[in-house]
Amino acid sequence: MSNDASRPDAAAADGASANGVVGDSYAAVDEGHRPATYYHLTRAVLYREFLIFVRYPANAVGGIVVSLFFFAALFLGGQLLAGQALTDSIEGIVVGYFLWTLSVGAYSSVSNDIGSEVQWGTLERHITTPFGFAPVALLKGVAKVVRTFLTSAVILAVMLVVTGTGLSLAPLTVVVVAGLSITSVLGLGFAAGGVTVLYKQIGNWLNLLQFGFVALISAPVFDLPWTRVLPLAHGSAMLQRAMVDGVRLWEFPLADLALLVSVAVGYLIGGYFVFEYATARARRLGVLGDY
Amino acid sequence: MARSAASARDGPREPDKTRDERDDVSRAEMTGPPALSVEGFTKRFGDGDDAVTAVDDVSLAVERGSVVGLLGPNGAGKTTLIKCALGIVIPDAGSVRVFGTDVRDGRKTAYADVDAMLEGARNDYWRLTVRENLRYFATISGVDPDSVAARHDRLLDRLDLADKADTPVRDLSRGMKQKVSLASVLAGGAELVFLDEPTLGLDVESARTLRAELRRLAVEEGLTIVVSSHDMTTIEAVCDRVVMLSNGRIVADDTVEALLGGADRDIVRVASPDLDDDTVAGLRDAFDVRAVDRESRPPAITVVAGGDRLYDLTDALRAAGVTVSDLRTVQPDLEDVFLERTGVASDAGLGGASR
Repeated sequence: MSNDASRPDAAAADGASANGVVGDSYAAVDEGHRPATYYHLTRAVLYREFLIFVRYPANAVGGIVVSLFFFAALFLGGQLLAGQALTDSIEGIVVGYFLWTLSVGAYSSVSNDIGSEVQWGTLERHITTPFGFAPVALLKGVAKVVRTFLTSAVILAVMLVVTGTGLSLAPLTVVVVAGLSITSVLGLGFAAGGVTVLYKQIGNWLNLLQFGFVALISAPVFDLPWTRVLPLAHGSAMLQRAMVDGVRLWEFPLADLALLVSVAVGYLIGGYFVFEYATARARRLGVLGDY
Repeated sequence: MARSAASARDGPREPDKTRDERDDVSRAEMTGPPALSVEGFTKRFGDGDDAVTAVDDVSLAVERGSVVGLLGPNGAGKTTLIKCALGIVIPDAGSVRVFGTDVRDGRKTAYADVDAMLEGARNDYWRLTVRENLRYFATISGVDPDSVAARHDRLLDRLDLADKADTPVRDLSRGMKQKVSLASVLAGGAELVFLDEPTLGLDVESARTLRAELRRLAVEEGLTIVVSSHDMTTIEAVCDRVVMLSNGRIVADDTVEALLGGADRDIVRVASPDLDDDTVAGLRDAFDVRAVDRESRPPAITVVAGGDRLYDLTDALRAAGVTVSDLRTVQPDLEDVFLERTGVASDAGLGGASR
């Protein structure tokens, strides 16, 4: 990865100095094309996501409506069944649901995206990029996460208004804790995306994992401390404390923060390796891009 | 060929060279390694008894600035060859080099100079506009889009897309979509471009325009283009050289002229309402009858009759009481050459999609 990371920058520096030293005799023909850096790549990927988001708002609005519908069913149904008990824990449910919509967005961003790109015939073009397939896929995942944060924020706002709940919404704390929590899910999405590249059918079934996130979000981290190393579980507990109890980022014990970061990085790296391994194997089998 | 030199100057392949070394590299690369060099390339799919050898010990080199056609029936190995050159498929044996860089070792470096339009693929984002696609794919192929904005304008002008630059691709006609796809492949300034069935699904007029554009781009931009197609017209019109593949092996590799020149040129086609079964049988005894077309109106036969044999043929026709409606020499096309080299019947398939 270090090689990959350094290449465009090295090439950029080289290109710049070469442009200065070697005459501009080619410039008229070539218009002095400069290598793209990771900055350009990030900008291009985020901008594409932004364009599709603003140009086709129906997709985003549809997602928000479906999420709110599920929440309404959960909330109203729960009120009928549990009555006052539910109202007491409504804050926890709102936070959990918020994290769940974020998780589903992060997870499907990578795994579903690969399916769509294969259909469009654009996957190959992301494979044959000098930046490398995995870094570009990761950036696309991040772009989708940013987008998911926006839609989930709307869902959160509506939930708060409808249920008349008040939560602590310190932006830095919420974004950092929730962001790190779902980074582990992004890793799972990568692994699932890799498996999808190899075995198309299994890929579809992996989408069911999204419902497993509910169990992870509500994992009993106090009774069963080992569950903290599972994706989402520890982050979910921290997000509850941050949003329900108003604990700020810097007020958490260092060990909690360290574990949050470790779990996030661990699953992301793990998923990334599964993805790399799967695409390398797909190349050998000749199934990459066949759908 | 200025583009090759310019790319060497930008130096993505040799980022750590000093200036002098780089100048040497520039010079070496201008004459240096071919755009594509394939040696002993073999690819099998599947295991054990089910294994299929898609490409079998293929070697070829494509010089810079040339336009080479890959011709062959379904399953001949054309697409596998292209995917290997792109690093989408890893070879079992042999090597594939793009501008001297092994696709397997230095994959990412090689990608800076190569791009492809794969068969039947949209190849771009239909929800983005034409220009947004060009900018996005230029970036993905490693080029700062702002630095090639003028090039994009020129490309759009050339492909007659300038008016549609800010139109989402999904709103364009099929022929235009295909041109956008081509433009997006060229947007990043790749010097080696693979086009898999570029005219597939286009109407006659759009296909003709695209062929003319390909030829022009190849000449004016100094591009190296590898076109895979079952469409002989495209290959004949665009390519300098043709590589024919059959069952994963190369069966012919020469210039279009040489291939056509080497084919049987002494074939005539005779059409007459008097060509009944008996007459044809009589002609078969005396001549090399290549084909009998009873379906055409009037019926026709194709006969090898070069030089003096042509007189013998007309004598025989007169003797048989055949009134000739039409007599013409048959110009061999690449399909005939292919059949000659492989003995594969034509309906076995140069037609249809490749893979």
